[in-house]
Amino acid sequence: MNDESDIRIDLLLFSVCGVYFGVDAGQVTGIAAYNGEQADDLFWFHEVLEYGDATSTYFSPTVITIKTGGVPSYRVIIDKMEDIVDFSQNDIRLFPELLEPFTLRNGMWGIVVKDDRMILLVDFKRLLRDRMDVNAQRRGDKK
Amino acid sequence: MSPSAEKQKSDCILDELKRRQRTKEVVDVEEERVKVVIFACGVNLFAFYGRDIREILPSCDISWVPSLPDYLPGLINVRGDIESVIDLRHFLGEEKGDGSKRLIAMAVQGDFRSGVMIESIEDVVDIPLSTIHPPLATLNGAARDLVIGEIEYGGTTISLLDVGKLAALVAL
Repeated sequence: MNDESDIRIDLLLFSVCGVYFGVDAGQVTGIAAYNGEQADDLFWFHEVLEYGDATSTYFSPTVITIKTGGVPSYRVIIDKMEDIVDFSQNDIRLFPELLEPFTLRNGMWGIVVKDDRMILLVDFKRLLRDRMDVNAQRRGDKK
Repeated sequence: MSPSAEKQKSDCILDELKRRQRTKEVVDVEEERVKVVIFACGVNLFAFYGRDIREILPSCDISWVPSLPDYLPGLINVRGDIESVIDLRHFLGEEKGDGSKRLIAMAVQGDFRSGVMIESIEDVVDIPLSTIHPPLATLNGAARDLVIGEIEYGGTTISLLDVGKLAALVAL
């Protein structure tokens, strides 16, 4: 029986340096193999998510274009794109309260468990919006 | 010595022993006791109140999450519940070692709930409340923020840590 109040989401699943992620496939407008290009609107995923000192090796780098809705285009290099899977909102868990302030700040808003693996859900639009807010605040502080 | 005098002496001793036993029983009943979990973190022993430790999990996979501070190594899946993990060594000034062989104590106090990485469980003991002494004034800075008292165990003094203070530190 279908629960009509259930919200469903197609998640594009990929991994970067052994960590599994999912992004709303509706936010992605393009997928292409990375050809070595360097551009101001192109970012490595491990830099966007602030991996810190962890070594970052990409086996099959892939560029995804994020639908930004008005602001300049935004492209992210991810690794090992695996699948697009339909999930119910009931499959999504919240981050533990202790971690949420850190994860939300970096666009990570939930977790799904699939095949005993934890998949961290990233919202690039949220990340972009928050980063723009922080930058705007910093500019305001300097004045 | 007459038999009646001997009887009196044994009666006296018996009475005294029974009185002491009754007194001890009264003391045992009145003395409030608390359970503490004694564990190793780094190379030193510490303790938590037993009421704050829900369970001890065997070494399990910790899923690393980017952008977290060093003292939050990531997430664990406890029978379907996703829990955070705290590396206690960061706050106790202990050396970092191999994280894969460590146990996780599930600490719960009020709204706070998290796994805490420890090396091993040494003991779980009931101790009289009166044997918990105030923290040593000479305690180093890192541990001082977490210690609620000192207890004697196996001839050494170990620090009793407060889960509430840990929660406050991590939330800062």
